Amino acid sequence: MHQALLTLGFGLVAAAILALSALAFTLEYSVTNVANLSHGEILTVGAYCAYLVQQHGGGVILSAVAAAAGGGALALAVHNGVVDRFVRKGIGGLPTFIATLGVSLVIQNILVIIFGASNLGYPVPQGPPRNIGPFLWTDTEIQIIVSAVAIAALLYVIIQHTRFGKSLRAVSQNRSLASVSGINAHRVAALTWLLAGLIAGYAGFILAESVGTFSPYSGFTFFLITLTAAVAGGLGNAWGTLVGGVIVGIALEFFGGYVSASYNLAFAFAILSLVILVRPRGLFVGGRRSVFE
Amino acid sequence: MIDYLVSILTEGAIFAILALGLNIVWGWSGDFDLAYYGYVALGAYMTMVLTIGKATAPTEYILGLTLPFPVAVILATISAMLLALIVGAIALRHLRGIYFSIVTLGAVYVLYIFASQFVPLFNGYNGLSGLFDPMGDFFGLDFTTYPYFYLGVCVLVLVIVVVGVTRLNGSRFGLALRSLREDERAAAVFGRDIYLMKLKAYVLGAGIGGLGGGLFAGYLSAFNPSAWSPVETIILYAAILVGGRGSTRGVVLGVAVMVLGLQEATRYLPEFAGHPTFAPALRLILTGIVLVLFIRFRPQGLLPERRMRDKDPTGKGGVAVAVEQPIVGPALDTGVA
Repeated sequence: MHQALLTLGFGLVAAAILALSALAFTLEYSVTNVANLSHGEILTVGAYCAYLVQQHGGGVILSAVAAAAGGGALALAVHNGVVDRFVRKGIGGLPTFIATLGVSLVIQNILVIIFGASNLGYPVPQGPPRNIGPFLWTDTEIQIIVSAVAIAALLYVIIQHTRFGKSLRAVSQNRSLASVSGINAHRVAALTWLLAGLIAGYAGFILAESVGTFSPYSGFTFFLITLTAAVAGGLGNAWGTLVGGVIVGIALEFFGGYVSASYNLAFAFAILSLVILVRPRGLFVGGRRSVFE
Repeated sequence: MIDYLVSILTEGAIFAILALGLNIVWGWSGDFDLAYYGYVALGAYMTMVLTIGKATAPTEYILGLTLPFPVAVILATISAMLLALIVGAIALRHLRGIYFSIVTLGAVYVLYIFASQFVPLFNGYNGLSGLFDPMGDFFGLDFTTYPYFYLGVCVLVLVIVVVGVTRLNGSRFGLALRSLREDERAAAVFGRDIYLMKLKAYVLGAGIGGLGGGLFAGYLSAFNPSAWSPVETIILYAAILVGGRGSTRGVVLGVAVMVLGLQEATRYLPEFAGHPTFAPALRLILTGIVLVLFIRFRPQGLLPERRMRDKDPTGKGGVAVAVEQPIVGPALDTGVA
C-alpha cells in the first residue's frame, strides 16, 4: 500500500506536467481545428530557453519565465507564420496537420544544429524529499504540482470570466459565426496560441526539471503522450483534457513502476487506440463511434 | 565517383519503391498513414532474420534461418502485409483524417519500441547485421562487381513495381480507390465497399513497403533502430508531395528531387567540428520547409496526377445517361408517403 501511494505521488507529478502540455495542445486545436504536430517542439524550445538562462546564472523563476516566453514566441510564430495562413486559404485540417509535422522537423533539426543531438543535463538542486501527507516529494516536485494547479486555475478564470475567454469559446465553437458577430477570429486564435505556447513552454521547463536531461527530441516523445491525454479527454475540450492528462499521467506512472518503464510509450498508445476506437470524441463527450472528417 | 553514383542510384531506386507503395495509401486511397515506415522496417528486419542464420550469444533474435535472399524478401513482404492487415483492420474501420493518422502513429511507435527494447525479437538496440552481398556468391560476384549487380536488382524491382502500379492505376480498383478519396459517401452510394477497398489498398501499399525494406536490408547489410525512425515516413511524404500526389511519374520524380537531389545538394557542405550531424539535420530542415511550402503553394506537385477521361465519350458503354426530367419544383418532404 505504501509503495502504491508513493507511485501515486510520482504519478501526480507526471500528471501535472502532462495536464499542462495537453491543455495547451487542446487550446491550439480548439481555436484553429488543427492538431499541431509541432506542439512537442514548443516544450523542447521552452526547455532550451530555460537551460540557456540557467547557464548564465539565472535562478529557477527566471528560467521558468524564459521557458514560457520562448514557448509563447514559438507558438505565436507557428500560428502566424504557418497555421493561420493555411486557415485563411481554406486548407483543411489534414493538410495543415501534415504541414505542422514539417514544422516540427524543421525546429527539431535547427536545435540539433545549434545544440547537438545528444542529451543535455539539467542540473537542478532537487532538494531533499519530504513527506507531504502520504507522498514523498522533493521541493522541485512540489513546485511543479503547485504551479500546475495554479496555472490551471488561472486558465479557468481566463476562459470562463474574461472577455477574451468568451471570444475564445465563441471561436472554438463556431469560427465563422464568431467572425460575423464582430470577433476578430484570427487575433483571438493568435492570442490563444500565444497563451498555449506560454503554458507549453513552461511545461517543457518542468519536464526537463523532473527528468533531469533533455534533447531536441524529448518534446516530440513527450508530445506522443500528450496526444494520448488530449485525445482521451476529447480534442478541443479543455477540462476533459485536463482530467485526461491526470488520468494518463498516473496510469503511466503505475505502469512504469509495476510493469516496465521502457514500454511506457507503447502503453500510452494502447490507451490511445482503445479510447479512439471506443469513444473517438473523448471519454467525457457524448460518444459517436465514427470519426469521418 | 562511379562507386558513389552506383550507391546513390541504388538508394534512389529503393526509395522510389517505398514512395510508390505509400502513394497507393496516401495518393490514391487518401489516408495519411504514419505507420508506413514500420512496414519498411519490418520488411528489413524479417529479411535479415530469414537469411543471416542462427543467433550466436550474446545476440538474440527470432527465427535465424538461412533462406535464399529472394525467398526471404517475399516472406518479409508477406509479414509486412500481415501486420498492415491487423493495423489497417483496426484503424480503417471507423477512423479517418487525423484520428487515423494518430492511431497509425501509435502503431508504428509500439513497433519501434518493441524492436528496440525487446531484445529476443530483433536484438534490441544493437540490431541485426551480417547480410553481406545477398546472392553474390550464387552468381559468383566479387565486391567490385557486386554493387552493379545489386543496383540492377533494385532497378528491376522498381520497374516491376512501376509497371504494376501503372496498370493498377487505370484498373477499376485504381479508379474506385480514387473515387473514395474524392468523396467517400458518394462512392458508398455507388455501391463501393469502402472499408474493404481501403484495407486492400493499405495492405498492398504496406507490401510494397516491406519489399522495399527487404531490398534496403540487403543494401545496408545491417539494420538496427538507429537506421530508421518512424518520422522518416515524412521524407517519403515530401517526395510524393513534391512530385505529385497520386501520379506515378510524379512520385519517381519526387524521389529524384527530394532524396537524390537534396543529398547531392548538401554533400559538399563543409563539416563543422563537433557537428557531425550538420548535413543530415540541414537536409531534414529543407525537407520540412519544402513540405510546408508545397502544401501551401502547389499541393498538386510538379507533375500532377492526370485527370481521368471518359474513354468512351459517346456514352454507349458508359453509365451516366442524363434523362430529361420534368421540372416539378422542390420536393416537399411532408412525411407522408
